[in-house]
Order: sequence, then structure tokens, then C-alpha cells
Amino acid sequence: MAGNDRMEPLERLLNLVGLLLETKTPLTFEQIRETLEPYRQEKVDSAKRMFERDKDLLRDFGVPLQLVDIDPWGGEQGYLIPKDAYYLPEIAFTPEELGALLVAAQGGDENTAAERAVHKLLYGADGGVLAGLAGGPLASGSDARSGLVLAVAAAAQRRRRISFGYRTSQGKASDRAVDAFAMVFRGGHWYLVGHDRDRDDVRAFRLSRFTSDPEDRGEGSASPEGFRAADHVQAGPWDARAEEQAVIAFSPEVAWWAAGSLTGATTIGTRADGWVEVSVPLADEQALAGLVLQFGDEAVVREPASLREAIVGRLEAIRG
Amino acid sequence: MADRARRGAPKTADRLGTMLVAVPYLVQHPGSVLAEVAGLFGVAPEQLRRDLDLLFMSGLPPYGPGDLIDVDVDEDDRIWITMADHFARPLRLTRSEALALYVRGAELVATPGLPQAPDLAGALDKLRATLGPETLDAEGLIEFTRGGVAPEHLDLLREAARTHHRVEIEYFAASSGAWSTRTIEPEEVFPSLGNWYVAAWDRGADAERLFRADRVRSAVDTGERFEPRGLAGAGRDLYTPGQDDVPVRLRLHAGARWIAEYYSTVDAVEVEHGSLEVTLPARRLEWIAKLLLRVGPDAEVIDPDALRDELRALAERTMARYRD
Repeated sequence: MAGNDRMEPLERLLNLVGLLLETKTPLTFEQIRETLEPYRQEKVDSAKRMFERDKDLLRDFGVPLQLVDIDPWGGEQGYLIPKDAYYLPEIAFTPEELGALLVAAQGGDENTAAERAVHKLLYGADGGVLAGLAGGPLASGSDARSGLVLAVAAAAQRRRRISFGYRTSQGKASDRAVDAFAMVFRGGHWYLVGHDRDRDDVRAFRLSRFTSDPEDRGEGSASPEGFRAADHVQAGPWDARAEEQAVIAFSPEVAWWAAGSLTGATTIGTRADGWVEVSVPLADEQALAGLVLQFGDEAVVREPASLREAIVGRLEAIRG
Repeated sequence: MADRARRGAPKTADRLGTMLVAVPYLVQHPGSVLAEVAGLFGVAPEQLRRDLDLLFMSGLPPYGPGDLIDVDVDEDDRIWITMADHFARPLRLTRSEALALYVRGAELVATPGLPQAPDLAGALDKLRATLGPETLDAEGLIEFTRGGVAPEHLDLLREAARTHHRVEIEYFAASSGAWSTRTIEPEEVFPSLGNWYVAAWDRGADAERLFRADRVRSAVDTGERFEPRGLAGAGRDLYTPGQDDVPVRLRLHAGARWIAEYYSTVDAVEVEHGSLEVTLPARRLEWIAKLLLRVGPDAEVIDPDALRDELRALAERTMARYRD
């Protein structure tokens, strides 16, 4: 730093934050200029520009730098940073909780915002947090870019209308305009639930099927009374809330994991030939027929008859 | 234009950001070691040292010797900060920061079998309660299920991966539809799309394999140590290409397009009527035949012919089960 008598921007900014945090009364730009040397060294115009840039930078960063009336008559305004708006409230995390947050924040592919968040929480950490980090970052197994997840979540949080390219599971591509309500995470997938403007209905959109980044289209709308986002995300054909049950027999080879892989399945018993009979909730006959068929000749539907017929019909079509 | 004007700025902004969070940490943790703190906040140790030097020259009016922040980095690189009461606590989280952290946390809490999940769930609750709706309005905004059923042998596999122990497993391979006993060297255990996977070296096959933890029927830690080969773990493709792979070319109609979302495919080409042509590299044709049995007319085999024969034979055998 030899020969450098100009204050570094970082030092100037730190001093500005300190000054506006500690001041008892709002300070006008002129008062700030008198107090902080770097603004004094410049011509008024350029000092003012420098101050404006600093102000923007601090606000971008989330510093609640406010311009308020100095006196009750509103004659003059000054700057300050209210302490209660600036300082993070006390949060009594356990070292384990803080360690878990730190690990979570490090795992995404575009994780700077989450990391910045957790850095702010670290100050109250016990030393144990550092030791708990040996495990390294965690992948969550989500199939959507975290940048996209964040952009859509932010839109839902601010109740915005967004438009985006979307391809349905059936392969139909179109542009959608949606009032974003909420996000649901299920089975490794993120879904946006919102009001589809063109279809005039609440729909769920899997984020991995977005074909473009969302664009902001202005103010959205409020979710309807009693809205629950998870209700709009389709459960699988093995929907555990279904009332009807199907009985499926699995060969001894596949029974162990077949029963475990079908949500809501309960084992009825093992037959003399070793095949295992399992009861499975039946919500969507065609979908369950597909699931059973994927076990090939290692699975047979016992009942209902309609499901057996559906499977036989599909097999006949394949045999040709 | 705006970009150009800001080009130099992010660096100062980043450094300021680090100072505003690292200084409170240093005030609360006197005597912290510089390299550790740099690691914790993701900055280069030398950068942190330089910025602490600058901090030393900042303070409060009238900026006399008694008003400046006192920073001392001793000969053991331990950091001592005093006279920084105004920086003793960090800045609040912004809405986007809180949301980013919450979203990441939600993904992990919803993953069954994650050891940190209960702590993480507790932390997210506290975060939401303390920050309040003006910063983190997550109630009803972000929904996720907690817990769920974890694979039975997940803990043993994870511990073996951590300690580099060989494990003997009984495994059901969906590709062959058969059980086998294998000795594996598990290097990483990670979740993906709702399932847990074990990236491992298969001693019998003498090749890298990816195992689904829920298809491990039994697992025994052999106690033998192995030398990790640095196999790819989290974030990797869920299919390990092998030399004997058969490229299977399929045309997927609307009802079968999910195959391209669920399995690793290459050379995807959109064709007319919302259909998609993809190549699915497969070690064995049996499991693809089963997949095709499931989707029926929604998929067509382009290549190889042997797969069509396999599919017909499988349909025949399956049909026989319904003739008793």
C-alpha cells in the first residue's frame, strides 16, 4: 500500500456502514462528507456520485440504508441504518443444526445465495461446527438446476406472474403463463403449483420440464381459499389413499424388493410355491397394469378381474 | 454499459460481504485461526489477511486512535478483534438468501435416510420462526414431506464408504432380474431422484458399478480396507457405460417419453407428433424388454432386432401366467 494515500473502497464502505449504524440522528450527505474523508477529497459532484454508488452497493447487499426525515416538519432528509433492521435477530441454533445448514448450503450447483445466508448465521456457532464439516457437501438428488428452482421459488414468494416454455410428460411443448403460488418437492422433483392463465385452472409444473428460464410478467394473483399445493401434484398410480386394492403375486426372486418399491403395499402371505402375494392400493388401473408388466413374467395380478383383463389385452397387442 | 461500469465492483462487494459476516464471527470467536476462518467463509487466506489490515484502519468518528477497530493477527495466525461492537452481529438475511437456504434445506429434509435431516428440519423451523414472514414466508409456499422410509442397509453402506471397508452384499439387479452375492468397495452413497445409490467397485466384475441401496437385501462389513479409486458420486450419470453395452434405439411416443426423463439416454431427437427418438445404452436386453412390456404401443424398437424377439418372447411367457 506504499504511496497510496487514497482510502480503499472497502475501508470507505466499512466506515460508512459503521457511521450510519451508530449515528443518533439521520445524517445528510453534507454531514457524511464532512465526517468521512474519502468523500471530502473529491469534488462535490463526484463525491456525490461515489456516495450514490456506495449506497446502491450496500442496498444490493441487503444493508437497510434508509433516507428519512430529519425533523418532524419534513424539511430535510438524512441517511441512517436502523440497528434493528440491520442486525440479525438471535437464533439459538445447536451446533448440529448449524452444521446441517452449512452442509446443505454447500451442495447446490449455484449456491452463492444459500452460502451467503449460512455465513451470516455462523457468528453464533460453537467451535463444533467446524469439526462437523468433515462429511463434505451433500447432493440432494433434485433433478432441476438450483438457479431455476430459486428463480421460480422467488416468483412464488412475491406472488408474481411468470411465463416459461414447458414440455408436458406427453411431449407437448408450449409457452405457459402462470400465477405462481407455491413449490412442492416430491420424489426428487420440484414442482411449481400455480394458476395457468390460458387454461384458467390450477396446475402443477415439474421444473425439470421447463424449456426456458421464467420471465416476469408482472403482478400475479392470490391462491384460492383453502389452497394446498401438494393436492395439485399428482401422486403415483399406487396412490396410498385409493380405496380399492389389487392383489399381485410376485416370484420369489423379485418379491423382496417389489413389495418395498410399491408405496402402500402390504404382504398378504407366501404361497407353497414360494410366490409372495401382496396387496397394493389401486388408483389408476392402466398405470398399475404398466407397473406390474415391468416385472415381466415375475408378477401376476390375482385380482381384480378388470386389471387382469387390462394386462392380458396389452400383452396380446404386443404379441401381435 | 451498466455491466462495464460495474465490472470492478463485484470484487469490493464480495470482500465487503465477507467482512460483514466474518468480523462478527471473529468478535464472537476470539483467537480463531486465520486459515480456518478463510475456509469457513470461502475466501483465500491472503485476501482475508489483507482485508483485516484494512479493517484495522476503519472505525467510528472521530477516527482517533481510540475509535478504530483493533485487529491483531498474532504469530500463530490467530485473530483478535476488539473495538468492533458495531460489527459484533451480522447483517440480516435478505429474502433471496433465506429462500435459497430454505429451498436447499427442504430438498435434503425430504430425502429419506439423510442423517442430518432431523437437525436440518429443526434449523429450518427456527429460521422461519425467527426471520418472520417479511423475510421468509415459507408457510404454504414450500411444501415437502419429511422423513420417509430409508433403505434398510443405508447406514452400514454409508459407514463402509466412510471408512473404506469392503462389503459383501446380496443384490437384486433389475437388468438381469436375478439375485447375486457380490463383494463391493463402496466409495460414495448418495441420493438421486428419490433413491439412494452406492457408487462402488465391484470386485467380481472388476468394474465400476452403481447399486441402488433399496435393492440390497443383506450387507456385511468384511472389515477389509480398500484403496478408493475416486469414483464419481453425487451428481453423476446414473448409468455407468461399459464396453459391452448394446445401444438400443427407441422411438418414444407421448405415453413413454418419461423413459427419457427417468433413464440416462443419449442422442435424443424430437420427431413428429411429440415423439422422441433416443438411444438407451444397455448392458442387457432383458430389462429393456420389461420396460417395453410396460409401455406397450407407446414405444417402438428401432434397433436392435434381437430386442423385438426378446420382447415377444417375454410377452408370451407373461401371458402363460394368466392361463392357469
